[in-house]
Amino acid sequence: MTVKAIRLDQQDNVATLLSDASKHQTVEVIDDQNQRVGSFQTLQAIPFGNKMALHAIAAEQPIRKAGYDIGRAIRAIPAGELVHVQNVRSSRVDIPDNIIEQIIQQMRIETE
Amino acid sequence: MKQHFQGYRRANGQAGIRNHILILAIDECAEGIAQAIRQKVSDCVIVTNHYTCMYGGNEELVNIMIGAGLNPNVAGALILNMGCGSIDPALIAAPLEQAGKPVRRLSIIKNNGTRQTIRQGIELAQELVAQAAEVPVEPVSISELLVGVKCGGSDTSSGIASNPAVGRAVDALVDAGASCVAGELIELIGCEDILRQRAVTPAVADKLERLILDEERRWHVPGTEVETMSIGNSVGGLTTLEEKALGALHKTGTRPIQDVLRITPQGIEQPQAPGMYLSETSHLCGASGMHFAALGAQVILWTTGGAGFSNPIVPVIRVSGNASLITEDIDVDVSGIMAATQSVDQAADQVLDCLDRVIDGEQTAIEEVGFAYCSLYQKDQRLETLIHSQPV
Repeated sequence: MTVKAIRLDQQDNVATLLSDASKHQTVEVIDDQNQRVGSFQTLQAIPFGNKMALHAIAAEQPIRKAGYDIGRAIRAIPAGELVHVQNVRSSRVDIPDNIIEQIIQQMRIETE
Repeated sequence: MKQHFQGYRRANGQAGIRNHILILAIDECAEGIAQAIRQKVSDCVIVTNHYTCMYGGNEELVNIMIGAGLNPNVAGALILNMGCGSIDPALIAAPLEQAGKPVRRLSIIKNNGTRQTIRQGIELAQELVAQAAEVPVEPVSISELLVGVKCGGSDTSSGIASNPAVGRAVDALVDAGASCVAGELIELIGCEDILRQRAVTPAVADKLERLILDEERRWHVPGTEVETMSIGNSVGGLTTLEEKALGALHKTGTRPIQDVLRITPQGIEQPQAPGMYLSETSHLCGASGMHFAALGAQVILWTTGGAGFSNPIVPVIRVSGNASLITEDIDVDVSGIMAATQSVDQAADQVLDCLDRVIDGEQTAIEEVGFAYCSLYQKDQRLETLIHSQPV
């Protein structure tokens, strides 16, 4: 079955996975009108409900989801990478570092 | 979307989508008597003040009870009190009578106790039901509709499916001239900048930011951490607090915010013209239902993963995008967005279709069950004094 992800706004640089994707899997991205946006390769496993970078995002660039800034990249994020606590920080209230560690462990996020 | 709904026209000019008789037990000890009356008279809904029979900062609750009685879905009210408490039933009856609503009062001690009050209560409630049956139904402009918007029991599907779908529906409603009101300011921490841009005036923007800050203080007494994100939220895919907040914000659509309606001991602010509003309505589900009732909302759109919340005065339309939790309790299934078989606009149309049917009298998925809880909620007045003692 094809793995799909949804990009909620045209300006978004991430899409949300609608099912689990494994490493190097092709993901078909759709928009909110259910129109195909394109195919993208994952660089790592990305679980359902999580976000994938649709193109390269430079360090300090905003992450845009559903037309809004949801945080900032803390390092360069290549297209196809999981966009989450290991490479993004809040502009408002950060999650404490030890909790971020726990999230990375629980989700078995590849950080290299 | 329709431009009119079949409404029950009230004496004060407002129009409801339901024709309920409200039994208002303004003291908790009158609850059993209210239930006994309701068992014998259909079309009655009960609101009980479970807090206390004293004032002591309870004026906010009194105002919510008055607001609930004034809700256009209420055709008339029977007010019960024990007779030894401080809350004067005349104070609650007066604004309802002024609005031309039929009101009856029973004071239990004066009416020779429980059995006699139940007997009289049944007679009075039946009279009120008969009077309600005379209320004319007429086509009412959509501009007289106020829709409450709320999320709860949220999961990963909420931010992707149900909240965006309801947000689009809210925009369509506002564009058609209706009004929508959302609350839960605590869930909007991190959205202040976006919301400020949507506010119609700088004064509304400032009010909005101040009230979100108040709510943050209320739930974050100095010395404790405000609960923002759980590890479960993060594992589910939420990366930052603003992402979580934006998921909740989505359901409010994108249209300009006319005002933020305050709910205080002094009174409850009402929408003054059609449009999109925010309010101090609680993020607690049961409490939000009564807040929406007191604001005058005729119907609520509720986004959720699973099911849960309902209200006897204001029908709740449940919208879910989680295919594994869709049961007969859910009114609108937007799980097609999650399955990539449906667009957000198509899902929004589904929400509006359901709303069209409910405002024309069709019951929501669980409305016919006849049971729904109501929680009266008020801010702790001691805490209010404390948080406002600091400079804002």
